[in-house]
Amino acid sequence: MEQILLKHTRAGQCLSFDKYRSTGGFEALVKAFTKMSPAEIQQDVIDSGLRGRGGAGFPTGRKWSFVPRDLPGPRYLICNCDEMEPGTYKDRVLLERNPHLLVEGMTLACYALGVQHAFIFVRSGYEQVAGNLRCSIAAAHNSGFLGENILGSGFSLELDVHQSAGRYICGEETALINALEGKRANPRPKPPFPAVKGLWGQPTVVNNVETLANIPSIITNGPLWWKNRAATPEAAGTKLFCVSGHVVNTGCFELPLGTTLGEIIDGPCGGMRPGSRFKACIPGGASTPYFTGAHRDVPMDFDPVAKAGSRLGTGGIVVFDQTTCMVAATLNLIRFFARESCGWCTPCREGLPFVQHTLERIESGRGDAGDIDILREHVRTLNYAFCALAPGAMGPVEGLLNHFGDELREHISARRCPFKGAHISPDRIE
Amino acid sequence: MPKLIIDTIPLEVPEGTNVLEAARSIGITIPHFCWHPALGKAGACRACAVMMLEGPVKGIQMSCMLPAQDGMVVSTADPEAVALRRAVIEWLMINHPHDCPVCDEGGECQLQDFTIAGGHGIRRYDGLKRTYVNQYLGEQIEHEMNRCIQCYRCVRFYQEYAGGSDFGVTGRAGSVYFGRQQDGQLESPFSGNLVDICPTGVFTDRTARFRARYWDYDMAPSICPGCSLGCNTVPMARYRELLKTTARRNDSVNGWFICDRGRFSNAAVNAPDRPRQALVDGEAVSMEVALDALQKRLAGFLELHGPEGLAIVGSPRMSQEAAVMAARLRDVTGAGTLCFFAGEEQSAGTAAAVALLNGNNAASQEDVRQSDMVAVLECDLLSEAPMMALAVRQAWRNGARVYVVDGDAPFDSSAGSLHRSAQGTEKGTESWLSGVEALPFEFERVTALAGIPFSEATNPVVICGTNKKRLNGIRTAALERVKLAFILNGPNAFGTALLTREQGAIAFYEALADGRVKGIIALEADLPTDLPAEIRVLAVADWLPTHLMKRAEVILPVTSWVEMDGTYINNEGRAQRFRQVMRPGLPIKGLTPELHPPRIHRHDAPGGDMLPSWKIVSELLKRLGAGRVDEPLNGRWEELQKLDPEGEGAQIILRGYTAHCPSI
Repeated sequence: MEQILLKHTRAGQCLSFDKYRSTGGFEALVKAFTKMSPAEIQQDVIDSGLRGRGGAGFPTGRKWSFVPRDLPGPRYLICNCDEMEPGTYKDRVLLERNPHLLVEGMTLACYALGVQHAFIFVRSGYEQVAGNLRCSIAAAHNSGFLGENILGSGFSLELDVHQSAGRYICGEETALINALEGKRANPRPKPPFPAVKGLWGQPTVVNNVETLANIPSIITNGPLWWKNRAATPEAAGTKLFCVSGHVVNTGCFELPLGTTLGEIIDGPCGGMRPGSRFKACIPGGASTPYFTGAHRDVPMDFDPVAKAGSRLGTGGIVVFDQTTCMVAATLNLIRFFARESCGWCTPCREGLPFVQHTLERIESGRGDAGDIDILREHVRTLNYAFCALAPGAMGPVEGLLNHFGDELREHISARRCPFKGAHISPDRIE
Repeated sequence: MPKLIIDTIPLEVPEGTNVLEAARSIGITIPHFCWHPALGKAGACRACAVMMLEGPVKGIQMSCMLPAQDGMVVSTADPEAVALRRAVIEWLMINHPHDCPVCDEGGECQLQDFTIAGGHGIRRYDGLKRTYVNQYLGEQIEHEMNRCIQCYRCVRFYQEYAGGSDFGVTGRAGSVYFGRQQDGQLESPFSGNLVDICPTGVFTDRTARFRARYWDYDMAPSICPGCSLGCNTVPMARYRELLKTTARRNDSVNGWFICDRGRFSNAAVNAPDRPRQALVDGEAVSMEVALDALQKRLAGFLELHGPEGLAIVGSPRMSQEAAVMAARLRDVTGAGTLCFFAGEEQSAGTAAAVALLNGNNAASQEDVRQSDMVAVLECDLLSEAPMMALAVRQAWRNGARVYVVDGDAPFDSSAGSLHRSAQGTEKGTESWLSGVEALPFEFERVTALAGIPFSEATNPVVICGTNKKRLNGIRTAALERVKLAFILNGPNAFGTALLTREQGAIAFYEALADGRVKGIIALEADLPTDLPAEIRVLAVADWLPTHLMKRAEVILPVTSWVEMDGTYINNEGRAQRFRQVMRPGLPIKGLTPELHPPRIHRHDAPGGDMLPSWKIVSELLKRLGAGRVDEPLNGRWEELQKLDPEGEGAQIILRGYTAHCPSI
């Protein structure tokens, strides 16, 4: 399996700038600035079929095409590195090993979009990541890949690293923009979309780390080569899957997009731990509905996962074995989301604590049949929140209701959690 | 003009109207908390869900966020929309303390109304409610955060609309808190609007705390007498005590808000030292007897000194009715002097300013809000006309360029100090520019009006005081497309300035200087403390205890603006009627034990033997044999009678009232 993002890297080590250069780094940039026009770069990205790796899977080239090129004033590119979803740590692994890929990818994206000032919004706690990026940016400056008149092309670019104070909601692109402007991290109403009116009222593209890091390879190797790295004809490129939970090898693996869930667990993860049987998993980060044993053959690509009733999300897979209480696991996730609500809209601010309270009642043996109605109602009503946080938060609850209804009812009828005392019951899965 | 259908009713609304407003326009109220006409949409509360059946968007939508478009078919009664609205109310009530019986907002609470409307009745959440620590926000506003439903209206008003920075929102998720960094007086001069704008009882009027329910109040449409802008209000009284004042909407004038000085200046009406008893030489008499005595003394005075020695003195704080009657009293008595202004500068300046206005160039507050270039000179907006500063802020928020003309002329300290306010703040002699730094908008300083590129603007406005030296510069500007907003010095300064020109009234100091004044009749007049001792003060009619009363031979208590009907003409020449809010009389709370409980039953209230100033003059005219006047606004003022007190008022200058006045 060919690696694109983690190539030449080793766990626990940051690839040096010189090593990156000598293994083909910045060749895409040289190629782009000497042979390609911005429109050609954008066309390559469109042709590659690259879809956003931050969770929503929106085609990156199309997102770029929404940016109006004729408005006066600057345009901005923001790299979203506010990776806070429980179970997701791919951006951290990537940037701890190879920050240069992102710097090169962003430079290419900025060239394509005509952006002269771009930002990398790094979540709090990612100190190593921020440090790596600053070093890489400085080195790129010294080599003439950043700053004034890059490679004599007349194009100039400044990259800034912004370390956030940290909130999950900052991953929402408009809340991120507010935070970057120094305001409260509340989402903004859409429309206008950031592509038209974003940072400081100017057209702005917000892309995930992994999305931008794929661009150098697309430019160097061509969109078709890149697209064909996937496991299925419909999928495009590779994907970082970060696996945690009851498997033998947890970690971040770069695999062809469209690899099935079973192949991931049995392949690089080395199967379930001794004594553990696969019960369920979170397929794409904490805001996605659960997969069960029935989903092991689903290709892990955006559309097949959606068709199977969940979302590929960020590719953060959390595996649960037979000792896991799904009510407790869901409660753990909902606690996170209820705490991380920005407090702007009523459904999220008040609804999530209500769901949390209801799950606590059920888990502690005080639940009744009405509680399941409350959960079911909230799966529906929280869809009408201001942004995607609350609907996403209800993903696990939806999975719980759809696949583990019996387990829920057992909690209620037995007036206790049937898993209490089971030895691996995970209190924390973050 | 999009055409849409809401609940089977077809309608057409102006471009940019959202679905919620469109529904309101045909009498369908969709529950809403965060949306406010003056603050716009926020999309935070999610209470205004409707079902879009047909059109460009389908399914459940928030009606405040959705501009009305052609072909939309909207259902507000769709079961799914109703269910979502009920869910929103259930969420909002999870942590609400249900303390309506002890909450001052009870009865005028939007949350109460929409909770009932929303249909949520049975509580399913059985956990703990979150609680907050309240803050001390000063003597005027009570803070009770537990009632908060996080609609963000307060912070959007305080920071965005009014430009305050000492109040905001902190925390996230279940700990969102609206308050200050620490306890303390709210600094914004518009903070009182939090009381009006909060849809529940987080901010209530501390000055009226626990005094009455909404349905107990005596209320009427009224006009604030605090400055010359004529902001629309609803004063609220109970048991003959003026308890609180709220803003009344007038889109041309104050919009939805009023300033704190206008809101919290109720104390003077209820003040214990307010004159309530007619006196003749210090002896308590009935109003009838006092008027008889005044008639006799006036006759004696006229015989002794002749009408030349008599001065009828009014002021810009009297109603137009009273001002017209003062002029008539001058005509009947043949008095040598009629005054409405004390200082020459003020008198001539105001009259000159009024002369510069015509039907096309007088700027209302709304004109200022819509302006794209504003120049401010010779006025300290925040102390003389706070709401004008708020209007300029709205223009600035919309991208208008604002200039402050950095002249060196001193501020006329007599302006703005005519009225006793609850806070008792009086402007000293410092330069008007010292207040400029606190203005809630950014501006550029220029040295002269000529330096402002008015030609680049579409709707330029100059806001100006009445310093006569400056008016020549204004006159040049007025020739072009620039609209003018003068900051005058009293609620009826415009009306009295019209009369000053028409009736040849002069400034009181001018009359004093030539020595002809031998005696005065003062009607709601603020006169100098150093009035020469040889001048007889025949009578003082006022509702405020002025120093002149100490030497008045006859004291006639009159009604304040909340105790009568009347008319003020504001700074832009807009005549506005106000209605009687309450009966005059001692607040029941203030009655002496001997008077309570009442042993003698009568129709008039204790301490209520008073008349509006214009009626006092009318009674006097009757006694002087000039016939009674039942309606003071007649002749060319007749049209003012027809003004709707609930309307937007009328710019009387439009009808050429100034045309036949002699020019200055």
